[in-house]
Amino acid sequence: MKRTRVIVLLAAAGFLAFQCRQMTIYAASDGSPSSPSASQSPQPQENAGSASPGATAYGEHCAICHGDNREGNLPAFPPLLGINRQMSDQQITDLVRSGKGRMPGFPKLRQEELNALLQFLSTSNSPTPAPNGNSSVASSSLSEAGYGLFRQNCAFCHGRDAQGGETGPDLTQSRLVRRDVGGDRISEVVRNGRPEKKMPAFHFSNQEIYSLVAFIHEQQAKAASRPGGRRGVEVADLQTGNIEAGRRYFNGAGNCVACHSPTGDLAGVASRYEGLQLEEQMLYPRDVKNRVTVTLPSGKQISGTVAYLDEFTIALRDADGNYHSWAVGKVKYKLDAPVNAHVDLFGKYTDDDIHNLMAYLQTLR
Amino acid sequence: MKSLRHRAVLAAGVLSGLAALPHLVLSQNLNPAELLHPSADSWPGYHGDYSGRRHSHLTQITPQNVGKLSLAWAFQTDQTALIKSSPLLVDGVLYFTVPENIWAVDARSGHQLWHYTYPPSPGDHIGNRGVGMYKGWLYFTTPDCYLVSLNAKDGTVRWKVEVADVKKGYWTTMAPVVVGNHIIVGVSGDLDNLTGYLRSVDPETGQTQWQWDSTPPAGTPNSTTGGMTWIPGTYDPSLNLLYWGTGNPTPVLNGKVRPGDNLYTCSIVALNPDTGKLVWAFSVSPHDTHDWDAVEVPVLVDGTFQGEPRKMLMQASRNGYFFVLDRTNGKSLLTAPYGPVNWTLGVDKEGHPIPNPAKEPAPDGRLIAPDEGGMTNYRSPSFDPKTGLFIVDAHPSYSIYFAKPADGAYGWAGADYGLWGKGVIEAIDYRTGKIRWSHEVGAGGSGAGVLTTDSGVTFTGDGYGNALAFDTATGKTLWHAGTGAPMQSSPISYELDGRQYIVTSSGGVMFAWVLPQSSILASGTASPAHTRP
Repeated sequence: MKRTRVIVLLAAAGFLAFQCRQMTIYAASDGSPSSPSASQSPQPQENAGSASPGATAYGEHCAICHGDNREGNLPAFPPLLGINRQMSDQQITDLVRSGKGRMPGFPKLRQEELNALLQFLSTSNSPTPAPNGNSSVASSSLSEAGYGLFRQNCAFCHGRDAQGGETGPDLTQSRLVRRDVGGDRISEVVRNGRPEKKMPAFHFSNQEIYSLVAFIHEQQAKAASRPGGRRGVEVADLQTGNIEAGRRYFNGAGNCVACHSPTGDLAGVASRYEGLQLEEQMLYPRDVKNRVTVTLPSGKQISGTVAYLDEFTIALRDADGNYHSWAVGKVKYKLDAPVNAHVDLFGKYTDDDIHNLMAYLQTLR
Repeated sequence: MKSLRHRAVLAAGVLSGLAALPHLVLSQNLNPAELLHPSADSWPGYHGDYSGRRHSHLTQITPQNVGKLSLAWAFQTDQTALIKSSPLLVDGVLYFTVPENIWAVDARSGHQLWHYTYPPSPGDHIGNRGVGMYKGWLYFTTPDCYLVSLNAKDGTVRWKVEVADVKKGYWTTMAPVVVGNHIIVGVSGDLDNLTGYLRSVDPETGQTQWQWDSTPPAGTPNSTTGGMTWIPGTYDPSLNLLYWGTGNPTPVLNGKVRPGDNLYTCSIVALNPDTGKLVWAFSVSPHDTHDWDAVEVPVLVDGTFQGEPRKMLMQASRNGYFFVLDRTNGKSLLTAPYGPVNWTLGVDKEGHPIPNPAKEPAPDGRLIAPDEGGMTNYRSPSFDPKTGLFIVDAHPSYSIYFAKPADGAYGWAGADYGLWGKGVIEAIDYRTGKIRWSHEVGAGGSGAGVLTTDSGVTFTGDGYGNALAFDTATGKTLWHAGTGAPMQSSPISYELDGRQYIVTSSGGVMFAWVLPQSSILASGTASPAHTRP
């Protein structure tokens, strides 16, 4: 019996040792084996459109988590398209080498391979051409996909055709959309939302964002080719006021002169803003930062722009850009918010006053 | 006969034991009678009960001890859609939703029993208010307008029926309301000229029992469409009347093609729940041109008005006015603004706001108070009987509205832009319409609903992610907790294992708050296990 026990123990130990052998790891994206710690020399390129050295490196080390097309797999694995706009080469290098959280580090990655990877990560991802090579077919199926996504998530506020809806502006008249190239501006708004305007943030993959961008640009093109059918506010709509009456209101009942000057802060305002945007800024300039002075228990005072304020916490950024916060109960603070004069006027304006003011402000080019 | 006596005693003992502990025998099963008198350990419908007052009779948490409120557990949904639903609590299990998803969570441990996902569907995914429950079945609406009936034990689907045509532009979000053997479903759809309606469905088969349409059919000359029914209504069992608010008319900002009061859009209607017949209607916004749905909760209150006992219905409406009606006949008792409004020529002698034609959307724009999101929106208000206060999350605000002939007469038919707003919790004295106290809750506004309790605590949230408890009498803050995202739902409360729970949500997380165990023993204010209201 003792011998059997020894044989069993030896077999178990041998089995364990066998299991601890070095395994080759197969990346999900391609069938070629690669070992986890050693780097490989780039594969020779045979076919057109096939991998650059950076793409190969990506495929071997990154695609299994970040997706074949850098689209990510949210929430755990972020997309990497456009990562070079969010992180510098040094930041990417540091992250790749040391890892972070669930992401492993690649400390032994050779510098050449890392450089190739950085080069690859700075390229954009154009939609994969259809098998017959006809890119217009692909782009319209991309915008069709975008239309589906738009209907589910955007149409309530922006309208099914992107021409404006429940609370959201007409995107086909949007300056930001006009200036957008390949989604560079639209993606930022979609990803971050516009919290001050109640637009939520959307955690779409990059492929999803591209499809939305394709749809939005298509809608803008359609709307431009069909004048008169739009639902939006054009500059021409906002020309019903009287310039002289507007100047009188500015200097008189509106008391805008208390804070503003046509030759000072408002010089050229109509070159900076036009149409609806000018009227919105005139009625309430939402990007203004208020100032605050906080008095500490010691009597020392600190002033700066308000960084955060709720019932419990007050925070400011001082002149040097440093952030300070305090529990509201522990300090005294005095807000300086001249923008509130705009709010006070809401209950006083007539609609004629507003149109007249617009007429006057539009002379300040 | 010793053995027979023993057996009889044993049988009697078992039977009385079973009778005394009904909740151990029935599980994941909601007796419809429970909806009429919810027990302390349940929250069986969106509003908690049929009145819509969102007022809890539990008194364990008081103004004196709420400062110690702490987290019992949090449930993370691991996804990005915001929770806008009120959870149901039945037999120790919480059921709540986001579009296309239902979670069943053990209310004691905060752990998941099951998670149901509806396949990705077209239609607007703007939100979902929760499920309805009838016996052992849950009822759930989907973005593509299906009513799904699921087994509450495990989330398996029994059947689904189509309640509207998503291809025409409808979608559904509301929590179905269960009245007797009727599952009441409402619809949404503002981007097309569609008729809004309420439909009653058989709980066992899903077959349509009746449908009530808010407006004449689309295409009727000089008539309106619209009147969507997307917030759960309330019910008076003694009058057998179902109360519901209807949405705005379409086309939304162009009123010229639909002259008149546009019945029954922007109205509070009373229907017979067995037949769907209209008993009375009150027009909250006659000829609305600002998208001010009157779908807000029609809160049912029995009390005195000018010395007389009255069965009342109260609504803080989107258009900025607070209405008190006699709910037996729809007659107006009080109409008063609860924030800045500039779109009316006053209120007529029947209590209807008179819209000012000069404030209809125009090609060069009109300054309008409140904004299109309204003085309040879907978030629930609460009525506190002791103080007579109707407490609502209000949104004083200003906007500009545009409409011109080129915008046409379909769907939105114009454009509107919010300029400025803020959030204020207001406590309105229902007898006078005066605001007794206000509590600011943030620039921009808050999305949180309100819950009040018999011990005088008000629960809500601000626009910065703080869950808040106030003293109901004064509005003073007694407790807060930063939850990381603003509340977009309305709090609920129930008692379990002798502890009072407050459940709130923010972002994609559900939070359960309780007093620490030591605090309960020390104060000795634990309420009896099964309190009847």
